[in-house]
Amino acid sequence: MIYGAVTSAIYALLAVGFTLIFGVARVLNLAHGSFYALGAYGTYLLASVAGWPLWIAATVAVASVAVFGVAVERIIIRPLRHSQLGVLMITLAVSLIVEQALFLSFGSEYRNVPAFVETKVNLAGVDVGGQRLLAFALAFLAIGLLYAFIQRTRLGSAILAIAQDAEAAKYMGIPSDRIFSLVMAISAALAALAGVLAGPFLSVQPSMHLLPIVKAFAIVVVGGLGSIAGSIAAAFMLGYAETVVAYLVNGSWTEIVSVLATLLMLIVRPAGIFGKRAAF
Amino acid sequence: MRIERRSFGKKALRGLALTAGTLAISGMVNAVHAQNAAPVRIGVPTSMQLQVGRDTITAIKMAVDEVNAKGGVLGRKFEYVAADETENPETGISAIKKLTADEKVDLLIGGYTSGVTLAQLPHISAAKTLYLGVGAASPAITAKVKQDYDNYKYIFRVGPINAAHQARALVDYISNFVIGELGYKQIAIVGENAKWVQDLVPVLSKGAKDVGAEIKLSELFDTQTSDFSPLMAKVKSSGAQYMIVVLSHASSDVFAKQWYDAQVPVPYGGIDVKSMDGDFFSRIGGKSISEVAGNFAVRAPLTPKTIPFFDEFKKRSANYPVYTAFFAYDSVHIYADAVKRAGSFDTDKVIKELEKTKHVGVVGEITFDETHDVQTGKGKANLIFAQWQDKGERAVIYPKELRTGNFMLPPWVKR
Repeated sequence: MIYGAVTSAIYALLAVGFTLIFGVARVLNLAHGSFYALGAYGTYLLASVAGWPLWIAATVAVASVAVFGVAVERIIIRPLRHSQLGVLMITLAVSLIVEQALFLSFGSEYRNVPAFVETKVNLAGVDVGGQRLLAFALAFLAIGLLYAFIQRTRLGSAILAIAQDAEAAKYMGIPSDRIFSLVMAISAALAALAGVLAGPFLSVQPSMHLLPIVKAFAIVVVGGLGSIAGSIAAAFMLGYAETVVAYLVNGSWTEIVSVLATLLMLIVRPAGIFGKRAAF
Repeated sequence: MRIERRSFGKKALRGLALTAGTLAISGMVNAVHAQNAAPVRIGVPTSMQLQVGRDTITAIKMAVDEVNAKGGVLGRKFEYVAADETENPETGISAIKKLTADEKVDLLIGGYTSGVTLAQLPHISAAKTLYLGVGAASPAITAKVKQDYDNYKYIFRVGPINAAHQARALVDYISNFVIGELGYKQIAIVGENAKWVQDLVPVLSKGAKDVGAEIKLSELFDTQTSDFSPLMAKVKSSGAQYMIVVLSHASSDVFAKQWYDAQVPVPYGGIDVKSMDGDFFSRIGGKSISEVAGNFAVRAPLTPKTIPFFDEFKKRSANYPVYTAFFAYDSVHIYADAVKRAGSFDTDKVIKELEKTKHVGVVGEITFDETHDVQTGKGKANLIFAQWQDKGERAVIYPKELRTGNFMLPPWVKR
């Protein structure tokens, strides 16, 4: 059941960033998957093509995606933020542009991202690739750091304040626009990190942004839009559900699990497990 | 750019012919002459972003150059125009419409995804345009020819051998090599959930059981699957000694990597279309080591044409060709020969001649059965099983008479 944990951790990384930006800025960012794809492609480009050491390549990739995220927020999302529909459309456009750009520069074939670690580890009788364990550990660490950051620091409190009531926070002198940029950077960096970590065992491909956005959406709906704890819980539920279905039922059924979960949740409890109110 | 200019030239010719025609009856004669001298246009619908597509186009260009170097056929030179059909049926249909309606091609050579080709068939037959398939393997494609000859007589499959034939070739490999030589009777069958695999697996399972294999696990997974670890765990715990795979559209790259990373103690092989790519081994960091994949040809003297074709192709494109290239190259020559024998470009007459084809091609002798499907057998199109070995060298393992190396186990498996 280690496999479920690894899948879940990657999902959690994706979903936390997605829900964070929604909780704080009320932005449903459909370009979230593109950050994931760009993180993975960035690592591929720097490590496999340019020949940089992998760790540096990965760090640079994550950092540049964070910058890209801020740029997207500043230039594209901010002028449209008063309209949820506008944001939805423009982020969708961003994701398509990124996909086409990757398509044109790299072609539609799978590309190999080298692994950070090549060893195989045997945990309780199950063989797991070292890269997967690393992905799990780093994902956990990143989410833990984020949690500490939000709970313990002044900036974190500011983020929380805006999430609770943007207007009141503004009156208290919190520079909401700057906070949005920060949150966007964190959100993009988390997605890029997920891409970097998953890249070595999944390879990269231009339409790879689609799957994460579907999963992130499903997780966030199940967990409650805007709730970080909910996202983590839901990520694990979904990750395990998929693994269990693949193992016990059939591999061709896994992809339907997340869609089904979303549908059920929307019917039964539109606010999600931890959500306070329905998002739509 | 070049194609643009050609089509401009053709338009100019047509314009000229038209003006001439309105002037006098002698003008009409000119028009007919102009039409006759116009080049034969080959439409190439394929997945241009993939190696299968790029190689199709390179191979067609090679064959077209050869035909033109000999002065063309019946006084007409050949030229080609490509359209991207991707792996999506809707885009595939637009590609056919573009080629038949806008580009007014004389015939079509191409195809890769069976689902796309099946969706294109009604549009090809509506346009009454010859179609020589070089990529899709579903038997359902040529089955239409038998069901409704008048509408679908335009469809031929030059290659690859269809999914049912591939299944039989795979059964031969299991019976003669996996069981016969390696002594592995416990087998797992793993494939992607796609049309041609759904066609293939029942034939494969039944055949394997008939030759004494014990099927420990048989499973199809979604083509979007990105995490194969539950599947690998299942294969391992099933007690299978050998894993037979049937993959083309799903990610063979990811599959091989995750198999290697988890050091699954089960060697694998079968039909793995991406593993036919010359750069498969290197692009996944050598993780396909010891995988055996069926190929439709390797650089070996299968026919007098095989080695020259491989070498000339390598000169032109920097990589060795994948299977669509063999059949695309042969298709152009098969069409040219049929036209010569028919003495005319009339589609019905050419079809009659195509049906009688006996063409020594890159992979073997190409002949068609009554459904216009390429036949298999000794000396004809076949599956040749080659293994990825150290440094990305490919060794032919089966059939025995073509063997160029000895079978190796994955580095972490002890017998």
